[in-house]
Amino acid sequence: MSETSPPTARTLRTGPGRLLVAVYGVFALAATARGGYQLATRFDEAPLAYALSLLAGVIYLVAAFGLARAGRTSRTVAFVACGIEMAGVLAVGTTSVFLPEVFPDDTVWSNFGSGYLFIPLVLPALGLWWIRRVHRLDQAGEG
Amino acid sequence: MVDWLTMTIQMVSLAMAGWFLVSTLRDQPMVVPHLVGMGLLWLLVLGQVGVSVAAMVGGERPAETAMFVSYLATVALLPPACAVWGFMERSRWGPAVIAFACLILPVLLVRLEQLWNPVV
Repeated sequence: MSETSPPTARTLRTGPGRLLVAVYGVFALAATARGGYQLATRFDEAPLAYALSLLAGVIYLVAAFGLARAGRTSRTVAFVACGIEMAGVLAVGTTSVFLPEVFPDDTVWSNFGSGYLFIPLVLPALGLWWIRRVHRLDQAGEG
Repeated sequence: MVDWLTMTIQMVSLAMAGWFLVSTLRDQPMVVPHLVGMGLLWLLVLGQVGVSVAAMVGGERPAETAMFVSYLATVALLPPACAVWGFMERSRWGPAVIAFACLILPVLLVRLEQLWNPVV
């Protein structure tokens, strides 16, 4: 990884962030489509589970745009989105393990994202790590 | 959908994912051969998409048509989108992006086959 770019040009979307944006983009699409389709066709079966999938998709979308755009504001947006996502996957994952009757059908976050190779659990951790790292590098460059 | 075409796409996709991961580990940025490889993979995918659309126009439709079409659109757009996004990055993370695309493409094709030909 080249460190030749000046600190001001350092944004979330370069380096490992490039891959993060791609993964977030795909998950935004997958979760939104899944939640939206299930809400539209089978609303009565498990409205909470489907709404949660849709919500997860929207949060992934916000995180993807936050990571892909330059600037302090979008960095904050991405950080908050990844934080909500981390809390969401932990809360829904724990609930689905101990109180399975709450969700009659699986969500993206059920069993900590086991249906998606646990990527939903790993992704927010990587996202938060990457945003913090870029933030620290920026501050070190300015100071 | 044509079964052997699906199999070919999956094999080629996984092989290319291996190639791109090696490039990532060797700290190489995306180069023109990577793009040509993605272009060939995309042609195979477009062939499958074309055959499937022709079959659907001809009246052969899966039960969950809307779901199938949305997956089909994703599969068609994923290789070029990731190729452009990865090529913009001039570091090892460019090949990493297309490696990711080549790893999820076979998974998406499995879902497409399931929707086209439900076992249950």
